This record gives sequence, C-alpha cells and structure tokens, in this order.
Amino acid sequence: MDSVESLITHIQGLSGCPEDVSHLHSLLKQEEDSLQSQGSRLGSFLHLLDPSKHSLGYLYFLEAHTSGSVVKEEASGFLNIVANFINACSAEQIQVAPDKFVSICKRFKEQVMQLQVPIQGIAPLLVAIRKLQPSPEHLTALHPDFLLLCLLAKCYKAGLSILDDDISEIDQPKDFFLYCYYGGMIYIGLKRFHKALEFLRHATTSPMPAIHAVAVEAYKKYILVSLIQNGQLPNFPKYTSSAAQRYLKLYSQPYVDLASSYGTGKISELQSCFNSNVEKFKNDNNVGLVKQVLSSLYKRNIQRLTQTYLTLSLQDIANTVELEDAKQAEMHVLQMIQDGEIFATINQKDGMVSFHEDPEQYKTCEMIQHLDSSIARIMGISKKLKAVEESIACDPSYVTKAGRERTRLDFDDFDSVPQKFLV
Amino acid sequence: MASSSLDLTPLKDAVSSRSYDKIADICDELRLQVASQGISYVDEWPYAIHLLGYMLVQDMNSARFLWKCIPNSIKEGQPELVAVWAIGQRLWTRDYAGVYEAFHGFDWSPDIQALVSTLTGMFQRYRNRIFQLLLNAYSTISVADTARFLGLSEDDATKYALKHGWTTDPTLQMLTVKKMPVVSEQKLDPGKLQSLTEYVFHLEH
Repeated sequence: MDSVESLITHIQGLSGCPEDVSHLHSLLKQEEDSLQSQGSRLGSFLHLLDPSKHSLGYLYFLEAHTSGSVVKEEASGFLNIVANFINACSAEQIQVAPDKFVSICKRFKEQVMQLQVPIQGIAPLLVAIRKLQPSPEHLTALHPDFLLLCLLAKCYKAGLSILDDDISEIDQPKDFFLYCYYGGMIYIGLKRFHKALEFLRHATTSPMPAIHAVAVEAYKKYILVSLIQNGQLPNFPKYTSSAAQRYLKLYSQPYVDLASSYGTGKISELQSCFNSNVEKFKNDNNVGLVKQVLSSLYKRNIQRLTQTYLTLSLQDIANTVELEDAKQAEMHVLQMIQDGEIFATINQKDGMVSFHEDPEQYKTCEMIQHLDSSIARIMGISKKLKAVEESIACDPSYVTKAGRERTRLDFDDFDSVPQKFLV
Repeated sequence: MASSSLDLTPLKDAVSSRSYDKIADICDELRLQVASQGISYVDEWPYAIHLLGYMLVQDMNSARFLWKCIPNSIKEGQPELVAVWAIGQRLWTRDYAGVYEAFHGFDWSPDIQALVSTLTGMFQRYRNRIFQLLLNAYSTISVADTARFLGLSEDDATKYALKHGWTTDPTLQMLTVKKMPVVSEQKLDPGKLQSLTEYVFHLEH
C-alpha cells in the first residue's frame, strides 16, 4: 500500500534533527493502527531504513512487525535483528518513544528466555538500559529484566554494572520492587551480604498499600541474610507500611522460627528447626541460604568468645561451640582470620588462641580515601534531599494541607502561606 | 586453544604477556559479546582458562557459577578442564594442602602450554598468599602443618621458613613465626585541605 512507502520516505527525510524527529513522531503515531494491521509485510521494508539514522522509524516498524508471536524458526533471526537495532540505534531518537522501545526489549527478553539462552540477552539489554535512561539515576522498566537474565545465566558479576548506580528517579513501583529483589539475589550470590541486606530492606519497606509476593519472598531472604550478616533480625523501621508490618511475618513463619532458634546460640536447636522446616525452605529455593545461616552460627559463637576471653584453648573453643575436635576449631579460627572476621593468633605449641583488638587505626591513606568518598556521597544525597524538600514545599496540595493545619496553630506563621490557601 | 569462528585474540595476548589479573574480565566480556551475537560458542569456549582466570583473582564465586553452566558433555570430553576444577574445588573448600595435590595429581601435557604457564603463575601466588596467612594467624606452628600448607616437603618448608626469619625448635618440630611490621601509607596531601573546607561549609549550611 502507498502509505507504507510514503511513511518510509518521511522517515528517511525527517530523521535529521530533533524538530524533524518530533514531527515524524506525530506522523508515526497517526499511522500506528495501519502499521499494526500490516505487521507481517513490514519485515521486507526494514532494509530501507538505517537503524542508527532512522531509529525512531525503524522502532515503529520493528515493533509493529514483531507484535504477533514469533515462530520458532524465525526466533534466532528475531533476536539478531533486535540486538543489532539496540546496538545501533540513537538514544535521542528512541527516548522519544520509550514505551515502544521497552516493549521491543521485553519481547526480546521473552524470546531469549523461551529459547533458554539467557546469556544471549545480557549484553544487548545492558546497552538498551543505558540508551533508555535519561541519566544513570533513572530506573527503567528494563532494569529488573536485565537482572533476571543475569541470574538465570549465572553471570552475577554482569549485574553489578547497573547495581552500582544510585537510583533516585523511579517511574513504576513494580519495577523498583523487582529490581530490589533481584538485586538482592545477585548480591547474595556474590556473597556481598551487606549490600544484599540494603536491597532486600528496600523491597520490604518501600511504600505498599497492600503486601505482594515480591515483598514476601524478599522478606524471607531478608531474615536469612540478616542472620548471616548481623546474627539477628531487626525490627521494622518506622517508615515501613502498616500492611507490611502486619502481614510479612505471618507469611514467613518458618523463617521467623529459624531466627528465634538462632537467637539461642545453640547449633542443635538451629539444626532441629531446619530439619522440621526443610520442605518449606526447599519450596522457596532457600535451602542453600539456610545452610549458610547454620554455618554462620559457628562463626558468631566464636566471635562471642572474643568478648569474654583474651586467650582460650582450641579444645575449649571446640567444646563451647559444639565442634568435633580441636583441629576443627583451629581450621574454623584460621578461616575466620583469613576472612578478617576475627583478629587472633594461633599457638600450636600450647594449643591456644590469643584474641586481639582490631589493629585498624583509621590513619592510613586508604582509609582516608574511603572516608572522603563516603562523605562526598552523603553531601550529594543531602543536596538532593534539600531539592526534593523545596519542591514539595511548593506543591499546591501540600501547601493546602499545611494551610488547613496552620489556622489551628500559630498566628505568626500565617505569612508563609498565601491567603487563598487558608481554608 | 583451537578457535574457528571465535576471535580470542585479547585473551591470547593477556596469557602470553602474563597479565594474569586481566584474564577473568577479558573472558567475561568476550563471552557476553559472543553470546549476544547468537554465535554457538559453547563447544569451543576455553572454559579451563576462564576458570583459571577467576582462580587467579580469587573470585571463587564466579568460578563456581561458570562450572555450573558448563554442559556435562564438555566436562566429559575435556580431562584438563576437570583437573583444573579439582584445584578450584579445593580452593573453594579451603583444603589448603589439597590444592597442591590436585595440581601435581594430573599429568598436564605440554600441548596445553598456555594452560600450564598460567597454572604455574597461580601456584607461586597461592603459596605466597598462604605464607602471608600463616604469618598473620600463627605464633607457633608445627613443621608438618607448615609443609602441608606450603605444599613442600618438611625439609623444604623449614628452609623456606628460616629464609624468612622464622626460628625452629627441632625437638618439638615447631616453627616460631617472625611477624613483619605492616607498613601503610599515612601521608596527607594538600588537596585534602580543599575537601575539609567543603565539608565544614556543608555542615554549617
């Protein structure tokens, strides 16, 4: 039909500068239905367009062409076309139609998962995220998909490239919850429990009118990681939604029980709690993590000894902590020294261990650099917070509410609220 | 490393120039790129070198995950790969002595030259690292254990320790560790004054 050819000409002519591109965008939106209905034909026209110069037009055509289900034989061809497009496209042009871009990328991810080659999607999705984001602080709908592929392909390190960014702009809460949950899982896989805790905490304490499956699963893992990292389960922070506070523990009873038996400090109690709930842990795919909780109790008990004793015999350690013999105790202590979890010296001649203070004096250049970068980061966040506070203070709905409250309080404060807002 | 459709030049360069620390990152990057092009790379991927790359930078997490991804058919067809993993497993379980046993327990053919030179590089580092650990963790330690930790005979282990200033008690077969003072940089540079001024300004506003 003529309209497709003429559309191609428009695309080729109007892709030069931002004004032309936005004109092109309105044209394409007008023709959207016609494109969708001719989806199967459009494939033969794609070669007339250059994905890097005519990104917006190419995007519309590609999206209409692939909106039906992808036939198995064409699957790898589909993956290649989309991957090439993602790599070649211009970020400015696709940011004009972000929903279409997201839709293509999500279809790409579905295909990659269906063909069971998640690793094939990792590099392209990372490029897609970077092109879609107005800045590294923006969370896109593709963030959780990317992390999911990294998890499925077991390429955990690849996920770090976006997890290291500090997110401060979020469009869809659902994306944020999934991003935090998958991010937590990646950090767990990399054994960076401190970061995992942070992400899982976000997934359980972010505003939610009603609890949902992601928050529940995140909370289960949060309990386990809290035990591994800190030896205890903290209370909910004040800002947690009431729905979460009321129901999260209810849905994770076996894990709460595990936390209580961990609190007794006895390996035997923890082990029996594990045995009685093992089926539930298996169903949740958390057995590996629970086993790490168990081995962390030995470490925790040994660490507790350092608070009471200056020196202790290896045999005494073995007895207190319920290890088999002095040699096992020695190996545990050695590994903890290697991991920096304890400061001690083993004296094999006497079979004794001497515990020391942390020798860190916080005077080294390395430590100063660490402090420097942390302070700089905090200053950056503080500035951002100030800006958000100022913009809220100007928000009409806030000022109205404040105005309503003011009449009951202080005459002197009237000045800050314009007359028309005083109800 | 035979490769037909795979261009592994960056990897080959890193191995020949002994840039051992870079092998893991180069392999990761290459693998993601190759996979994204839909090239079927699994049969020809140099998994053994990839695993070694992780072991060289002590990233045992990534090594374990990579091992899980390798199809059984590949594992069955490449005995060197299985032998490399045997070393990796012992690193993971911290079977300090077992690491050396796994290395010596396999007949590495000279064909796999690149592999063997990477392995030898890894072993020197491993022994140094374990020696540092012993230095840090022990005040006295038996000759037998030292020998196991360092993968040396008891005589060689004693000589190694004496060379580093340790002393020996032949009757008890014990070595006394000589601690090295830890030197760390503590110089401050004038650029810090600028940062300090900024911090104070920020705190007061």
